[in-house]
Amino acid sequence: MASRTKQKEEARARRLEEERARAERARRDRRLRTVGAIIIGAIIVVGVLIVVSSGGKKGGLQTGTEASATATTVNALLAGIPQSGATLGNPKAPVTMTYFGDYECPICQEFTLQGGFPQLVQNDVRQGKVKVVYKSFCTATCNGPGQTVFNNQQVAGLAAGKQNRFWQYTELFYHEQGQEDTAYANEAYLTGLARQISGLNLSTWQSDRGNSSLAAQVASDESDAHTIGVTGTPTLVFQGPKGQAAASAAVPSYSQLEQAVKQVS
Amino acid sequence: MSTAVSTARPRSISLDGKLRIAIGVLSLVGIGIGGYLTYTHYAGLHVLCLSSGGCETVQHSRYSKLGGVPVATLGLAGYIGILISLWIRGELGRALGFGLALVGFLFSMYLTYREAFTIHAYCQWCLGSATVMTLLAILTAIRMLSFEAAPAAPRKPVSRAERRRQMAGRR
Repeated sequence: MASRTKQKEEARARRLEEERARAERARRDRRLRTVGAIIIGAIIVVGVLIVVSSGGKKGGLQTGTEASATATTVNALLAGIPQSGATLGNPKAPVTMTYFGDYECPICQEFTLQGGFPQLVQNDVRQGKVKVVYKSFCTATCNGPGQTVFNNQQVAGLAAGKQNRFWQYTELFYHEQGQEDTAYANEAYLTGLARQISGLNLSTWQSDRGNSSLAAQVASDESDAHTIGVTGTPTLVFQGPKGQAAASAAVPSYSQLEQAVKQVS
Repeated sequence: MSTAVSTARPRSISLDGKLRIAIGVLSLVGIGIGGYLTYTHYAGLHVLCLSSGGCETVQHSRYSKLGGVPVATLGLAGYIGILISLWIRGELGRALGFGLALVGFLFSMYLTYREAFTIHAYCQWCLGSATVMTLLAILTAIRMLSFEAAPAAPRKPVSRAERRRQMAGRR
């Protein structure tokens, strides 16, 4: 009798143990399924983020009405403002803003087209209070296609400067900037920009591109940047009667530019 | 002379408690990094950087934004989400924390790859954030896998007489 009871108890204990083990297995399986679902979900989410991150940015050489509209905007900004080489504005302006930039740098594009720069040109440069001197410093281009491409595109801008249209070329480059780290700034692109500049003699521009003094100018700009400790673009240095100042922001607003101008005026 | 012996056992923090503290601290570090980078971006300030120009180069690259939103801001949102998940009870909170940390870790690896092979510059803030996210992914994974759901209430043993009474009641 006692052994029967004992057998029953043992069977019950075995059954309970099996139930516990089954429940534990089910819980483990459920947890692993949850972890697996989270991992798959995370991979899908990150995949989408990567596609969005590396997705093609609109840009590149414009044609037709789009190119005409851009040219009109650029001409309206620069019309009537004196130019000499890479200098925009009255050469006797009391304040000089030296702009260290790279044509392929997206933040330079942001500053030139959407930051405080257009307002500075419309107001202070147009009124002869400030002149802007562009100096090239290789950042984005050297992180992508390299120094040779950088030299080539900067020389193309300086060659337009030989006909006092450096700033038209520079503005058009930023307006039609392509996707970073792609080799978009090829011969067709550089010549295409030059074709969009009204009044530019294309054959003179082509021959000026071979002028060794322009390549020397690019090297000299790079050397100047290293001398004053420029590490990124855009870097803006203001020089005036009261000394020197730097812009307080990477992409300064017009009021921040004004503040720097007042500081040195 | 009698000696008073304390019978109280020293309070010990469970594994989950330790993980929650570590995840909380790391999330706060991440919030600090993400908050600083977001602030400098929207205030238009230069980022403090130890190496020459690395941070500026990375911050000014096109990979610094995702759909127009700075990635630092997305990271900040992720760290805040992981921190909030610590207050959500049960498996849901753990799953949420693990999911967010895993997404953050995988995307940080992608951005670090871009720094190394596309931008060719490193930003200490980004590398710091990637390290924090990696640690968070490990800790939240451990927390997720070590989760013990509260066992179901054991069934009360029912005596034979009780069962007979129940059967009679049904009739």
